[in-house]
Amino acid sequence: MAAPVRRTLAALPRATFRSLQNAEACLDVRHPLPFALQVRTKKRHFVPPAVRVKGRTQRDPEAKARAAGIVFRQQYMERPINIACSAGIFDPYIPPEGDARLSTLSKDGLKQRTEQIRQSAASQLAIRKIKEHDPQFTTKDFPQRAQEIFIDAHNALAQFDKEKLHSLVTERCYPEMTRGNRYKTIRWRFLESLEPPRLVHTRCPDMVTKGNLYGQVTLRMHSRQTLAIYDRFGRLMLGSEEEPKDVLEYLVIERHLVNPYGRWRLHGKIVPAWAPSKDPVIKTVMIPGPELKPWEEFDALHYEIPKPKAVQWSK
Amino acid sequence: MATLAAGRGLASLRGLTGFLHSRPQSLSCFHSGCSLESAKNWERKNLTLHPPQLPEEPRRPAEVHHCRRQIKYSKDKMWYLAKLIRGMSIDQALAQLEFNDKKGAKIIKEVLLEAQEMAVKNHSVEYKSNLYVAESFSGKGQYLKRIRYHGRGMFGIMDRVYCHYFVKLVEGAPPAVQAPNSLDQAHDYVQGLRSRTIIHSL
Repeated sequence: MAAPVRRTLAALPRATFRSLQNAEACLDVRHPLPFALQVRTKKRHFVPPAVRVKGRTQRDPEAKARAAGIVFRQQYMERPINIACSAGIFDPYIPPEGDARLSTLSKDGLKQRTEQIRQSAASQLAIRKIKEHDPQFTTKDFPQRAQEIFIDAHNALAQFDKEKLHSLVTERCYPEMTRGNRYKTIRWRFLESLEPPRLVHTRCPDMVTKGNLYGQVTLRMHSRQTLAIYDRFGRLMLGSEEEPKDVLEYLVIERHLVNPYGRWRLHGKIVPAWAPSKDPVIKTVMIPGPELKPWEEFDALHYEIPKPKAVQWSK
Repeated sequence: MATLAAGRGLASLRGLTGFLHSRPQSLSCFHSGCSLESAKNWERKNLTLHPPQLPEEPRRPAEVHHCRRQIKYSKDKMWYLAKLIRGMSIDQALAQLEFNDKKGAKIIKEVLLEAQEMAVKNHSVEYKSNLYVAESFSGKGQYLKRIRYHGRGMFGIMDRVYCHYFVKLVEGAPPAVQAPNSLDQAHDYVQGLRSRTIIHSL
């Protein structure tokens, strides 16, 4: 309040001097007066131009930088994704028919088939490739290590330890193992191994680029395990905790060879076409019946439930 | 003097607001009316995990909680339908609702069918008819406010009503409801009289 008053007081002598000048000018005809004479509404203050920022649009900083000569590198809107496992099992191992069946007649045939891995040349090549990337890999001790990985992974699944499970199991295998298990209790126990685990098949596929190698090793494991799954309310859904089962499994272990921090992790399981059917769930399940036309009738007595085709699939 | 004091006060207020803006929303020292996490508690009841039962314990029946939010219907009118099906088996409830003329009956029937399907698919219920309605009630949803014009320039605030509907299905046969016997009622009355405490007595 005080400041503007002082300014006007200071401006008064100036104004009076100017008005005198104007009075002289109006007497002279050669210099005609402007039509409007500012006396009362004369601008008597000074506002520096930098203060008036309100109505200003932002000047283009890019244009300014270009004028100044600064050059920016092209900015790519990219997001790097690290793929640490392959999408599936390449060239899967086809387990021979009748493996681990007590058939004395074809014992020789079995022995031939379950010989050493030296028969398959592609597997030998793959082992050589793996050895040049991972010098600690040997055909003798790797199966034992792989079995330990398998046991640790399933124990982590039973406890649902996410971080440990991610380190023991690849990203492709993780959702298959854990889907639908979040609100269920799993009790799994590994009792003993009936036969020592064996390496049966190796492949070294590369993904996307030529040098991006992944090593996939198939292992044959015959063991005794117990499995019991309880649902959300603590009721037994599948299996039993006391009754052990003999299990023949073909596990696929994978490692990203080119990555120095890569680890051997469980990638999947191969279920052969001749595998026996699993135990049923402790629950009655409704199977949808056949599609009927309006004039047809459903004959419950002579209806055969269609069985799915026996195909090898990998999980 | 007064200007100086006012100036300092203004500066301190500016600092305070700046401090508040820098802190995250959850730590604001102002009490806000609404809760910070939305109250979807009924849906969360489906995510409880019970430990495995011991063999000597009785088998725990499966439960499914289901609800529908923001139904364009009055909660008081919905209450009548909810009270109708309380305690019925699911088949009986569906039959009653199918032949009921109210608008809410169709909605509740859809909710019950959804809950039945969820129970069979996700919550390990064996037979879809083996369910009964244990709890069923309606709640107030978020209303929209509008102006209702009266004569003489008067107005009222009109509420566009919405309601929520909650249902809990439990596996098993519906519990038998005993009609109150007159003898039992008399017995209870006499018991009540006998169990009175007399205060301030000698």
